[in-house]
Amino acid sequence: MPRIYFKTAERCVEFAEGQEVNVLRMAIREDVDVPWQCASGNCGTDRLVVEEGVENLDPPRRRERARLGDLVDQGYRLACQTYTRGDVTFSWNPDQVGLDASDSDRRGVSDGSDGRDDRGDSDGSDDGDAARAPRSGWAGSG
Amino acid sequence: MPDLMAPSEFRLALEQAFSGTMAKDASFSRAWATGKLNKQHFVHWATNHYHYIGPFGDYLGLIYANTPDHARDAKDFLLQNMYEEELSDDRHTDLLIRFAEACGGTRAYVQDRSNAMPFTKGLQGWMYCVSGREHFVVASAALIVGLESQVPSIYRTQYPTLINKYGFSEWEAEFFDLHITSDEIHGERGYQIVLKYADTPQLQQRCLQFVREAADMRFAYTKALYETYVLPDLGAWVETEDRQPALVA
Ligand code: FES
Repeated sequence: MPRIYFKTAERCVEFAEGQEVNVLRMAIREDVDVPWQCASGNCGTDRLVVEEGVENLDPPRRRERARLGDLVDQGYRLACQTYTRGDVTFSWNPDQVGLDASDSDRRGVSDGSDGRDDRGDSDGSDDGDAARAPRSGWAGSG
Repeated sequence: MPDLMAPSEFRLALEQAFSGTMAKDASFSRAWATGKLNKQHFVHWATNHYHYIGPFGDYLGLIYANTPDHARDAKDFLLQNMYEEELSDDRHTDLLIRFAEACGGTRAYVQDRSNAMPFTKGLQGWMYCVSGREHFVVASAALIVGLESQVPSIYRTQYPTLINKYGFSEWEAEFFDLHITSDEIHGERGYQIVLKYADTPQLQQRCLQFVREAADMRFAYTKALYETYVLPDLGAWVETEDRQPALVA
């Protein structure tokens, strides 16, 4: 069976062959003490260093690239945003806190991919700052 | 009445309760994942989805009010879930409307209740009813295990198609990207709450019943989307055995 080795916690979690699993979900399910807060790619609290098995991970999507910035190139991934289909080993600083929103605010990051930056519109909406303000109405889920 | 199940056995039973009727396997989801829909179909989807999941904060708020103080971890989870849906980042319905606008829809159209299917209004009513009237652990099982925890499996199939086949940018499709991961965690924490607080055989059985019902509701809703909006354009959806889609006019 493939396994995720959470090296800092000295815990190994196995999952079924052929599955792709979310790393933070597996940590929560098995009570592995990975620090996290938002579960949506905003805070960066759950950044992990990939020590082995990077080839088994799905590539980072926009939110993760924007949140981590240069840290992606240094081998970091966000546990909440990362799926693995095979063996992988992670380590982290057990005392780490969230990344400061001001130094890599994902709203303003141009990661060279796509999105609002290529619309020539700073916040990507067609109604300016109003799009950022809390709106009346419903909030939604999946 | 069956005996009280151990947590691992109960978890398996919960997983099996919705595995036969996963919304990702409904005709609309399959047509989506195989690139058969057009942008008008997506506007209709976003509009109905808005009226289905838009009041999620309300649903959670009702469950929160029914959760006793001694289940503080459950209350905190519900509150955090509400906060994440509403305030911690872009409001989730704004991301949904962003997607609708990328398909040619408007905020006003999406928010207009009269543009939603009667089935969607029924589903919304079912959500209000379960969250307001059932024991908090049963309502959590229905909404979080039965519905929210299914989301990653649906959107992990649909998101790559949106980018690679339909040509949306990651920004336009951010609603899906966000829910792939956040609902993994909400779903997992929902399981933990249900495993912990469904502490009688009666509660466990009622949780299973409502997880089945939730899965049936979402499956039927997704199927209704196809029948209402796609069937007139594409004909009946037929899935061949190897899951290669075939359309029969
Ligand atoms: S927990 Fe906040 S970015 Fe993953």
